[in-house]
Amino acid sequence: MASVVPSMRVKVLFFGRLRELTGLAEEAGDLPEGTTLAQVFERYAERYPKLAGFRNSMVVSRNQEFAAWDTRVAAGDEIAFLPPVSGG
Amino acid sequence: MTASFQEDKFGLVRAAIDAAELVRLVREGQDGAIVTFDGFVRNESHGRETSYLEYEAYESMALGKMKEIAAQIHEKFAIHRVAIVHRLGRLEIGETSVFIAVSAPHRGAAFDACRFAIDTLKRTVPIWKKEFFADGAVWADGELPPTPPSAKSAS
Repeated sequence: MASVVPSMRVKVLFFGRLRELTGLAEEAGDLPEGTTLAQVFERYAERYPKLAGFRNSMVVSRNQEFAAWDTRVAAGDEIAFLPPVSGG
Repeated sequence: MTASFQEDKFGLVRAAIDAAELVRLVREGQDGAIVTFDGFVRNESHGRETSYLEYEAYESMALGKMKEIAAQIHEKFAIHRVAIVHRLGRLEIGETSVFIAVSAPHRGAAFDACRFAIDTLKRTVPIWKKEFFADGAVWADGELPPTPPSAKSAS
């Protein structure tokens, strides 16, 4: 019997053009343990195919800090997908 | 230099920014100079006449990044106090979107720190601007913030 990978609950946020494109500002989701930020993005890119084209012109944050795409997510994390910033 | 990080001021607001109040806030007897940056809405973008702008932010992270900027300029320059406030929501032409005030005993540090603060804000603080024209709207180009190296190489 294959072992079941435990899942963890995270919060995912979208901003700017990414929020407009998905129509999604924020949602809670369950992910398998060990999921990386890149894999979280891929899940959303499957759901919203237009997202895929933005992969190289965006950054991701984990718990309000910019993060590398291969960072592993932990339960309770707040993940955000961020287009190029344009404040000021 | 006296560490006065606790007395710095950061804010994201939805009403007009009171620049005079921020200048008063950073000004004390030990200072000899205040340098301010007033960023306001221009009436055109890439040759198109702008109607108005809308700003949005990842607010909790934006405030954290503004505090990091303050910590950095206290570290790098001999300044006394800093105030950084950015406005969100709809802004009309000529309205202030960001205001920074830096006080210091001497002008050099205040100029350098204020320049560093606005340049860093534009690269690292998660705020986004949408430009509205008579015939449509676009998200401003923006800059990609620097990100940490791959988690594998970091650990």
